[in-house]
Amino acid sequence: MLDQNLRHISDEELLFAAAGELSKHRAAEVHKHLEACWTCRARRMELERAMTDFAQSYRMELDPHLPPIGGLRALVRSRLRELAREERTPRWKYICRLNSGVRHWAYLGAGLVVAAALGGLLFRNSRTTSTTAWFEAETRPDGSLTPGATRQVTISEVCANPREEVIGEVSVSLRQEVFEKYGIVNPRPEDYEIDYLIAPGLGGTDDVRNLWPEPYHARVWNARVKDALEERLHELVCSGQVELSTAQHDIATDWIAAYKKYFHTNKPVVGS
Amino acid sequence: MSPSSFEDASVAVPLTLGSSAKPSRIEAEVMESFEEFRDPLLRYSLSLGLTVHDAEEVIQEVFLALFRHLQLGRSRRNLRGWLFRVAHNLALKQRLANRTLSQRNVLDTRIAEEQIAATPSPEEEVSTAQRRHRLLAVVQALPDHDQSCLRLRAEGLRYREIATVLGISLGAVSISLTRSLARLTRADSR
Repeated sequence: MLDQNLRHISDEELLFAAAGELSKHRAAEVHKHLEACWTCRARRMELERAMTDFAQSYRMELDPHLPPIGGLRALVRSRLRELAREERTPRWKYICRLNSGVRHWAYLGAGLVVAAALGGLLFRNSRTTSTTAWFEAETRPDGSLTPGATRQVTISEVCANPREEVIGEVSVSLRQEVFEKYGIVNPRPEDYEIDYLIAPGLGGTDDVRNLWPEPYHARVWNARVKDALEERLHELVCSGQVELSTAQHDIATDWIAAYKKYFHTNKPVVGS
Repeated sequence: MSPSSFEDASVAVPLTLGSSAKPSRIEAEVMESFEEFRDPLLRYSLSLGLTVHDAEEVIQEVFLALFRHLQLGRSRRNLRGWLFRVAHNLALKQRLANRTLSQRNVLDTRIAEEQIAATPSPEEEVSTAQRRHRLLAVVQALPDHDQSCLRLRAEGLRYREIATVLGISLGAVSISLTRSLARLTRADSR
Protein backbone atom coordinates (compact mmCIF):
# COMPACT_ATOMS: atom_id res chain seq x y z
CA MET A 1 0.00 0.00 0.00
CA LEU A 2 1.12 3.50 -0.76
CA ASP A 3 2.37 5.49 2.16
CA GLN A 4 0.90 9.00 1.82
CA ASN A 5 4.18 10.43 2.96
CA LEU A 6 6.13 8.48 0.38
CA ARG A 7 8.16 10.81 -1.81
CA HIS A 8 7.17 10.94 -5.46
CA ILE A 9 9.60 9.81 -8.11
CA SER A 10 11.55 12.55 -9.83
CA ASP A 11 11.16 13.31 -13.55
CA GLU A 12 14.73 12.24 -14.07
CA GLU A 13 14.17 8.84 -12.54
CA LEU A 14 10.86 8.35 -14.37
CA LEU A 15 12.65 8.97 -17.66
CA PHE A 16 15.56 6.79 -16.65
CA ALA A 17 13.12 3.99 -15.81
CA ALA A 18 11.29 4.44 -19.12
CA ALA A 19 14.60 4.10 -20.95
CA GLY A 20 15.45 0.91 -19.06
CA GLU A 21 18.55 2.50 -17.56
CA LEU A 22 17.80 1.84 -13.85
CA SER A 23 19.42 -0.97 -11.89
CA LYS A 24 17.22 -4.05 -11.43
CA HIS A 25 16.69 -3.34 -7.78
CA ARG A 26 15.75 0.31 -8.23
CA ALA A 27 13.58 -0.50 -11.28
CA ALA A 28 11.57 -2.92 -9.12
CA GLU A 29 11.11 -0.24 -6.44
CA VAL A 30 9.96 2.31 -9.01
CA HIS A 31 7.59 -0.22 -10.56
CA LYS A 32 6.07 -0.96 -7.15
CA HIS A 33 5.64 2.74 -6.46
CA LEU A 34 4.00 3.37 -9.82
CA GLU A 35 1.48 0.61 -9.18
CA ALA A 36 0.12 2.57 -6.27
CA CYS A 37 0.81 6.23 -7.18
CA TRP A 38 -1.47 7.80 -9.76
CA THR A 39 0.38 11.11 -9.59
CA CYS A 40 3.63 9.52 -10.73
CA ARG A 41 1.88 7.39 -13.33
CA ALA A 42 0.22 10.46 -14.80
CA ARG A 43 3.53 12.32 -14.80
CA ARG A 44 5.28 9.42 -16.50
CA MET A 45 2.61 9.40 -19.21
CA GLU A 46 2.96 13.15 -19.62
CA LEU A 47 6.73 12.90 -20.10
CA GLU A 48 6.44 9.96 -22.46
CA ARG A 49 3.83 11.78 -24.48
CA ALA A 50 6.07 14.84 -24.77
CA MET A 51 8.93 12.63 -25.98
CA THR A 52 6.71 10.73 -28.40
CA ASP A 53 5.17 13.92 -29.77
CA PHE A 54 8.58 15.51 -30.23
CA ALA A 55 9.93 12.41 -31.99
CA GLN A 56 6.92 12.47 -34.31
CA SER A 57 7.23 16.20 -35.02
CA TYR A 58 10.97 15.85 -35.59
CA ARG A 59 10.36 13.22 -38.26
CA MET A 60 7.46 15.06 -39.86
CA GLU A 61 9.64 18.15 -40.06
CA LEU A 62 12.61 16.45 -41.71
CA ASP A 63 11.42 13.34 -43.56
CA PRO A 64 9.93 15.30 -46.48
CA HIS A 65 13.42 16.72 -47.07
CA LEU A 66 15.17 13.35 -47.30
CA PRO A 67 16.11 12.67 -50.93
CA PRO A 68 15.60 9.20 -52.47
CA ILE A 69 18.15 6.73 -51.18
CA GLY A 70 19.28 5.44 -54.60
CA GLY A 71 21.72 8.19 -55.58
CA LEU A 72 23.63 8.18 -52.33
CA ARG A 73 23.62 4.38 -52.21
CA ALA A 74 25.22 4.20 -55.68
CA LEU A 75 27.79 6.80 -54.72
CA VAL A 76 28.75 5.12 -51.43
CA ARG A 77 28.97 1.71 -53.09
CA SER A 78 31.22 3.08 -55.85
CA ARG A 79 33.52 4.80 -53.40
CA LEU A 80 33.73 1.68 -51.24
CA ARG A 81 34.77 -0.36 -54.26
CA GLU A 82 37.35 2.26 -55.11
CA LEU A 83 38.69 2.06 -51.56
CA ALA A 84 38.67 -1.73 -51.62
CA ARG A 85 40.61 -1.72 -54.92
CA GLU A 86 43.21 0.59 -53.42
CA GLU A 87 43.50 -1.71 -50.43
CA ARG A 88 44.00 -4.73 -52.63
CA THR A 89 46.99 -3.16 -54.43
CA PRO A 90 49.37 -2.13 -51.66
CA ARG A 91 52.54 -2.71 -53.70
CA TRP A 92 53.73 0.87 -53.19
CA LYS A 93 54.06 0.08 -49.52
CA TYR A 94 56.95 -2.21 -50.32
CA ILE A 95 58.77 0.63 -52.05
CA CYS A 96 58.22 2.86 -49.05
CA ARG A 97 59.88 0.29 -46.81
CA LEU A 98 63.10 0.20 -48.85
CA ASN A 99 66.08 2.21 -47.70
CA SER A 100 66.41 5.61 -49.32
CA GLY A 101 69.12 4.66 -51.86
CA VAL A 102 67.19 1.70 -53.21
CA ARG A 103 63.98 3.70 -53.07
CA HIS A 104 65.40 6.42 -55.30
CA TRP A 105 66.34 3.81 -57.91
CA ALA A 106 62.89 2.28 -57.62
CA TYR A 107 61.25 5.66 -58.16
CA LEU A 108 63.54 6.36 -61.10
CA GLY A 109 62.72 2.98 -62.66
CA ALA A 110 59.01 3.45 -62.15
CA GLY A 111 59.25 6.96 -63.60
CA LEU A 112 60.98 5.65 -66.72
CA VAL A 113 58.35 2.97 -67.23
CA VAL A 114 55.54 5.52 -66.88
CA ALA A 115 57.31 7.98 -69.17
CA ALA A 116 57.82 5.28 -71.80
CA ALA A 117 54.16 4.28 -71.63
CA LEU A 118 52.99 7.88 -71.91
CA GLY A 119 55.45 8.56 -74.72
CA GLY A 120 54.11 5.64 -76.72
CA LEU A 121 50.57 6.76 -76.14
CA LEU A 122 51.27 10.33 -77.14
CA PHE A 123 53.20 9.22 -80.20
CA ARG A 124 50.21 7.19 -81.35
CA ASN A 125 47.83 10.02 -80.65
CA SER A 126 49.77 13.15 -81.35
CA ARG A 127 46.71 15.36 -81.77
CA THR A 128 46.47 16.02 -78.04
CA THR A 129 49.12 17.17 -75.60
CA SER A 130 47.69 15.52 -72.52
CA THR A 131 46.92 11.86 -71.96
CA THR A 132 43.93 12.70 -69.80
CA ALA A 133 42.65 15.12 -72.39
CA TRP A 134 43.05 12.44 -75.04
CA PHE A 135 41.12 9.89 -73.00
CA GLU A 136 38.36 12.42 -72.44
CA ALA A 137 38.26 13.79 -76.00
CA GLU A 138 37.65 10.29 -77.34
CA THR A 139 34.44 9.92 -75.42
CA ARG A 140 32.92 13.36 -75.90
CA PRO A 141 30.56 13.98 -78.83
CA ASP A 142 31.29 16.69 -81.38
CA GLY A 143 29.35 19.66 -80.01
CA SER A 144 28.58 21.03 -83.49
CA LEU A 145 27.06 17.72 -84.61
CA THR A 146 25.49 16.67 -81.30
CA PRO A 147 24.48 19.74 -79.28
CA GLY A 148 21.70 17.79 -77.50
CA ALA A 149 17.93 18.05 -77.96
CA THR A 150 15.08 17.88 -75.48
CA ARG A 151 11.33 17.49 -75.54
CA GLN A 152 8.75 19.40 -73.51
CA VAL A 153 8.56 17.46 -70.28
CA THR A 154 7.53 18.18 -66.70
CA ILE A 155 9.39 17.16 -63.56
CA SER A 156 6.57 14.83 -62.58
CA GLU A 157 6.82 13.06 -65.96
CA VAL A 158 10.59 12.73 -65.59
CA CYS A 159 10.28 11.40 -62.06
CA ALA A 160 7.26 9.16 -62.67
CA ASN A 161 9.50 6.29 -63.79
CA PRO A 162 12.86 5.10 -62.61
CA ARG A 163 15.47 6.32 -65.07
CA GLU A 164 16.31 2.87 -66.39
CA GLU A 165 12.73 2.32 -67.51
CA VAL A 166 12.69 5.20 -69.93
CA ILE A 167 15.73 4.49 -72.08
CA GLY A 168 14.60 4.24 -75.69
CA GLU A 169 15.76 2.15 -78.64
CA VAL A 170 17.43 3.95 -81.55
CA SER A 171 16.06 2.96 -84.96
CA VAL A 172 18.36 1.57 -87.66
CA SER A 173 17.77 4.55 -89.98
CA LEU A 174 18.60 7.00 -87.22
CA ARG A 175 21.77 5.08 -86.36
CA GLN A 176 22.82 5.24 -90.02
CA GLU A 177 22.18 8.99 -90.08
CA VAL A 178 24.37 9.51 -87.02
CA PHE A 179 27.25 7.49 -88.51
CA GLU A 180 26.98 9.48 -91.73
CA LYS A 181 27.11 12.78 -89.86
CA TYR A 182 30.27 11.68 -88.10
CA GLY A 183 31.79 10.44 -91.37
CA ILE A 184 32.05 6.86 -90.17
CA VAL A 185 31.85 4.49 -93.11
CA ASN A 186 30.87 0.81 -92.68
CA PRO A 187 30.93 0.84 -88.88
CA ARG A 188 31.28 -2.53 -87.21
CA PRO A 189 28.57 -3.13 -84.59
CA GLU A 190 31.20 -4.03 -82.01
CA ASP A 191 33.01 -0.69 -82.38
CA TYR A 192 30.34 1.84 -81.43
CA GLU A 193 27.22 2.32 -79.41
CA ILE A 194 24.82 5.03 -80.52
CA ASP A 195 24.20 6.85 -77.27
CA TYR A 196 21.92 9.66 -76.22
CA LEU A 197 23.70 12.80 -75.11
CA ILE A 198 20.75 13.86 -72.93
CA ALA A 199 19.16 10.60 -71.78
CA PRO A 200 15.42 10.15 -72.46
CA GLY A 201 15.02 9.80 -68.70
CA LEU A 202 16.17 13.42 -68.38
CA GLY A 203 13.97 14.69 -71.20
CA GLY A 204 16.29 13.94 -74.15
CA THR A 205 14.78 13.07 -77.54
CA ASP A 206 15.23 10.55 -80.36
CA ASP A 207 16.77 13.28 -82.49
CA VAL A 208 19.93 13.03 -84.53
CA ARG A 209 21.17 16.17 -82.72
CA ASN A 210 20.98 14.24 -79.46
CA LEU A 211 22.81 11.09 -80.57
CA TRP A 212 26.45 10.28 -81.14
CA PRO A 213 28.62 7.24 -81.80
CA GLU A 214 30.26 6.37 -78.49
CA PRO A 215 33.32 4.12 -78.96
CA TYR A 216 33.20 0.85 -77.07
CA HIS A 217 36.97 0.85 -76.68
CA ALA A 218 36.84 3.77 -74.26
CA ARG A 219 38.25 2.37 -71.03
CA VAL A 220 37.95 5.31 -68.68
CA TRP A 221 35.06 7.59 -69.58
CA ASN A 222 32.77 4.93 -71.01
CA ALA A 223 29.05 4.31 -71.32
CA ARG A 224 28.76 2.80 -67.84
CA VAL A 225 30.25 5.94 -66.33
CA LYS A 226 27.80 8.06 -68.28
CA ASP A 227 24.94 5.82 -67.11
CA ALA A 228 25.99 6.46 -63.50
CA LEU A 229 25.93 10.22 -64.18
CA GLU A 230 22.44 9.97 -65.69
CA GLU A 231 21.25 8.06 -62.65
CA ARG A 232 22.78 10.62 -60.29
CA LEU A 233 21.26 13.54 -62.19
CA HIS A 234 17.87 11.84 -62.23
CA GLU A 235 18.04 11.47 -58.45
CA LEU A 236 19.15 15.06 -57.95
CA VAL A 237 16.44 16.43 -60.23
CA CYS A 238 13.71 14.33 -58.63
CA SER A 239 14.80 15.29 -55.11
CA GLY A 240 14.69 18.96 -56.10
CA GLN A 241 18.40 19.53 -55.63
CA VAL A 242 19.10 20.37 -59.25
CA GLU A 243 16.86 22.04 -61.85
CA LEU A 244 15.98 19.81 -64.80
CA SER A 245 17.17 22.51 -67.23
CA THR A 246 20.52 22.70 -65.38
CA ALA A 247 20.96 18.93 -65.55
CA GLN A 248 20.16 18.94 -69.27
CA HIS A 249 22.50 21.86 -69.90
CA ASP A 250 25.39 20.37 -67.92
CA ILE A 251 25.22 16.93 -69.50
CA ALA A 252 24.85 18.39 -73.00
CA THR A 253 27.68 20.89 -72.64
CA ASP A 254 30.29 18.43 -71.34
CA TRP A 255 29.14 15.21 -69.74
CA ILE A 256 32.60 14.42 -68.34
CA ALA A 257 32.79 17.82 -66.63
CA ALA A 258 29.26 17.22 -65.34
CA TYR A 259 30.33 13.86 -63.91
CA LYS A 260 33.26 15.49 -62.13
CA LYS A 261 30.98 18.20 -60.79
CA TYR A 262 28.19 15.95 -59.50
CA PHE A 263 30.39 13.14 -58.20
CA HIS A 264 33.03 15.50 -56.76
CA THR A 265 35.86 13.54 -58.35
CA ASN A 266 38.31 13.86 -61.21
CA LYS A 267 38.09 10.23 -62.26
CA PRO A 268 35.22 7.83 -62.66
CA VAL A 269 34.29 5.92 -59.56
CA VAL A 270 32.42 3.28 -61.53
CA GLY A 271 32.85 1.43 -64.75
CA SER A 272 36.58 1.77 -65.09
CA MET B 1 8.27 6.80 -32.37
CA SER B 2 5.90 4.58 -30.45
CA PRO B 3 5.81 4.55 -26.65
CA SER B 4 7.18 1.01 -26.68
CA SER B 5 10.21 1.99 -28.71
CA PHE B 6 10.69 4.89 -26.34
CA GLU B 7 10.84 2.38 -23.53
CA ASP B 8 13.32 0.07 -25.16
CA ALA B 9 15.61 1.41 -27.82
CA SER B 10 17.60 -1.45 -29.27
CA VAL B 11 21.33 -1.08 -29.73
CA ALA B 12 21.69 -4.15 -31.92
CA VAL B 13 23.55 -3.59 -35.16
CA PRO B 14 23.43 -6.38 -37.73
CA LEU B 15 27.15 -6.99 -37.91
CA THR B 16 28.57 -10.44 -37.68
CA LEU B 17 32.01 -10.52 -39.19
CA GLY B 18 35.34 -10.77 -37.48
CA SER B 19 38.33 -8.52 -38.09
CA SER B 20 39.80 -10.98 -40.57
CA ALA B 21 36.92 -10.51 -43.00
CA LYS B 22 37.87 -9.77 -46.60
CA PRO B 23 37.22 -6.29 -48.04
CA SER B 24 34.32 -7.46 -50.18
CA ARG B 25 32.54 -8.80 -47.10
CA ILE B 26 33.27 -5.59 -45.25
CA GLU B 27 31.78 -3.67 -48.17
CA ALA B 28 28.62 -5.76 -47.83
CA GLU B 29 28.62 -5.15 -44.10
CA VAL B 30 28.97 -1.39 -44.58
CA MET B 31 26.20 -1.35 -47.18
CA GLU B 32 23.96 -3.25 -44.77
CA SER B 33 24.58 -0.58 -42.14
CA PHE B 34 24.01 2.11 -44.78
CA GLU B 35 20.54 0.71 -45.51
CA GLU B 36 19.69 0.72 -41.81
CA PHE B 37 21.19 4.01 -40.71
CA ARG B 38 21.13 6.27 -43.76
CA ASP B 39 17.77 7.85 -42.89
CA PRO B 40 18.42 8.43 -39.16
CA LEU B 41 21.89 9.84 -39.83
CA LEU B 42 20.71 12.04 -42.67
CA ARG B 43 17.80 13.31 -40.60
CA TYR B 44 20.13 14.07 -37.69
CA SER B 45 22.60 15.90 -39.95
CA LEU B 46 19.76 17.97 -41.43
CA SER B 47 18.56 18.81 -37.93
CA LEU B 48 22.00 20.26 -37.23
CA GLY B 49 21.36 22.80 -39.97
CA LEU B 50 23.10 21.30 -42.99
CA THR B 51 21.70 21.51 -46.50
CA VAL B 52 20.61 18.23 -48.09
CA HIS B 53 23.70 18.26 -50.30
CA ASP B 54 26.08 18.79 -47.39
CA ALA B 55 24.26 16.21 -45.26
CA GLU B 56 24.65 13.63 -48.03
CA GLU B 57 28.36 14.44 -48.23
CA VAL B 58 28.64 13.89 -44.49
CA ILE B 59 26.82 10.55 -44.65
CA GLN B 60 29.09 9.43 -47.46
CA GLU B 61 32.15 10.19 -45.35
CA VAL B 62 30.63 8.44 -42.34
CA PHE B 63 30.29 5.14 -44.21
CA LEU B 64 33.74 5.43 -45.77
CA ALA B 65 35.07 5.96 -42.24
CA LEU B 66 33.13 2.88 -41.12
CA PHE B 67 34.75 0.89 -43.90
CA ARG B 68 38.25 1.96 -42.76
CA HIS B 69 37.29 1.37 -39.14
CA LEU B 70 36.25 -2.22 -39.86
CA GLN B 71 39.18 -2.88 -42.16
CA LEU B 72 41.54 -1.97 -39.37
CA GLY B 73 39.78 -4.57 -37.25
CA ARG B 74 38.60 -2.02 -34.71
CA SER B 75 35.81 -2.60 -32.21
CA ARG B 76 32.32 -3.37 -33.42
CA ARG B 77 30.78 -2.62 -30.03
CA ASN B 78 28.01 -0.04 -30.16
CA LEU B 79 28.48 0.81 -33.83
CA ARG B 80 25.25 2.78 -33.85
CA GLY B 81 26.72 5.19 -31.30
CA TRP B 82 29.96 5.27 -33.29
CA LEU B 83 28.14 6.14 -36.53
CA PHE B 84 26.20 8.96 -34.88
CA ARG B 85 29.35 10.29 -33.22
CA VAL B 86 31.21 10.48 -36.54
CA ALA B 87 28.16 12.05 -38.24
CA HIS B 88 27.78 14.56 -35.39
CA ASN B 89 31.43 15.64 -35.57
CA LEU B 90 31.52 15.88 -39.36
CA ALA B 91 28.23 17.75 -39.48
CA LEU B 92 29.40 20.30 -36.93
CA LYS B 93 32.63 20.75 -38.86
CA GLN B 94 30.69 21.25 -42.07
CA ARG B 95 28.31 23.66 -40.38
CA LEU B 96 31.19 25.68 -39.08
CA ALA B 97 32.71 25.79 -42.55
CA ASN B 98 29.47 26.90 -44.16
CA ARG B 99 28.35 29.19 -41.35
CA THR B 100 24.83 28.00 -42.04
CA LEU B 101 23.46 28.62 -38.59
CA SER B 102 21.38 31.55 -39.76
CA GLN B 103 20.19 29.59 -42.80
CA ARG B 104 19.05 26.85 -40.49
CA ASN B 105 16.73 29.18 -38.64
CA VAL B 106 15.34 30.39 -41.95
CA LEU B 107 14.81 26.77 -43.05
CA ASP B 108 13.18 25.81 -39.77
CA THR B 109 10.82 28.76 -39.95
CA ARG B 110 10.04 27.99 -43.58
CA ILE B 111 9.32 24.34 -42.81
CA ALA B 112 7.10 25.24 -39.89
CA GLU B 113 5.25 27.79 -42.04
CA GLU B 114 4.85 25.28 -44.84
CA GLN B 115 3.40 22.77 -42.44
CA ILE B 116 0.83 25.22 -41.20
CA ALA B 117 0.08 26.66 -44.61
CA ALA B 118 -0.24 23.20 -46.16
CA THR B 119 -2.59 21.98 -43.46
CA PRO B 120 -6.05 21.24 -44.81
CA SER B 121 -9.02 23.10 -43.44
CA PRO B 122 -10.37 20.73 -40.73
CA GLU B 123 -9.87 22.35 -37.35
CA GLU B 124 -8.34 19.28 -35.74
CA GLU B 125 -5.55 19.16 -38.26
CA VAL B 126 -4.87 22.86 -37.89
CA SER B 127 -4.58 22.47 -34.15
CA THR B 128 -2.26 19.45 -34.53
CA ALA B 129 -0.02 21.43 -36.86
CA GLN B 130 -0.01 24.36 -34.48
CA ARG B 131 0.89 22.09 -31.59
CA ARG B 132 3.72 20.59 -33.58
CA HIS B 133 4.89 24.05 -34.51
CA ARG B 134 4.83 25.04 -30.84
CA LEU B 135 6.83 21.97 -29.82
CA LEU B 136 9.46 22.62 -32.45
CA ALA B 137 9.65 26.27 -31.45
CA VAL B 138 10.29 25.24 -27.82
CA VAL B 139 13.02 22.85 -28.91
CA GLN B 140 14.67 25.46 -31.11
CA ALA B 141 14.89 27.77 -28.12
CA LEU B 142 16.86 25.14 -26.14
CA PRO B 143 20.66 25.21 -25.99
CA ASP B 144 22.33 23.31 -28.87
CA HIS B 145 23.43 20.57 -26.52
CA ASP B 146 19.92 19.91 -25.21
CA GLN B 147 18.56 19.88 -28.76
CA SER B 148 21.11 17.26 -29.76
CA CYS B 149 20.27 15.06 -26.76
CA LEU B 150 16.58 15.24 -27.60
CA ARG B 151 17.07 14.50 -31.31
CA LEU B 152 19.38 11.58 -30.62
CA ARG B 153 16.83 10.20 -28.17
CA ALA B 154 14.15 10.67 -30.83
CA GLU B 155 16.34 8.55 -33.12
CA GLY B 156 16.13 5.79 -30.51
CA LEU B 157 19.61 6.10 -29.01
CA ARG B 158 19.99 5.06 -25.38
CA TYR B 159 21.38 7.38 -22.74
CA ARG B 160 24.87 5.86 -22.82
CA GLU B 161 24.95 6.04 -26.62
CA ILE B 162 23.99 9.71 -26.52
CA ALA B 163 26.76 10.27 -23.98
CA THR B 164 29.24 8.63 -26.38
CA VAL B 165 28.07 10.66 -29.38
CA LEU B 166 28.27 14.01 -27.60
CA GLY B 167 31.27 13.16 -25.42
CA ILE B 168 29.47 13.94 -22.15
CA SER B 169 28.62 11.96 -19.02
CA LEU B 170 25.54 9.80 -18.55
CA GLY B 171 24.39 12.17 -15.80
CA ALA B 172 24.67 15.16 -18.14
CA VAL B 173 22.49 13.40 -20.71
CA SER B 174 19.93 12.57 -18.06
CA ILE B 175 19.78 16.14 -16.74
CA SER B 176 19.56 17.55 -20.26
CA LEU B 177 16.68 15.27 -21.30
CA THR B 178 14.79 15.84 -18.07
CA ARG B 179 15.11 19.61 -18.41
CA SER B 180 14.03 19.57 -22.08
CA LEU B 181 11.04 17.28 -21.56
CA ALA B 182 9.87 19.22 -18.53
CA ARG B 183 9.93 22.32 -20.71
CA LEU B 184 8.00 20.55 -23.45
CA THR B 185 5.31 19.35 -21.04
CA ARG B 186 4.97 22.90 -19.66
CA ALA B 187 4.60 24.31 -23.16
CA ASP B 188 2.05 21.67 -24.01
CA SER B 189 -0.11 22.37 -20.97
CA ARG B 190 -0.40 26.10 -21.73
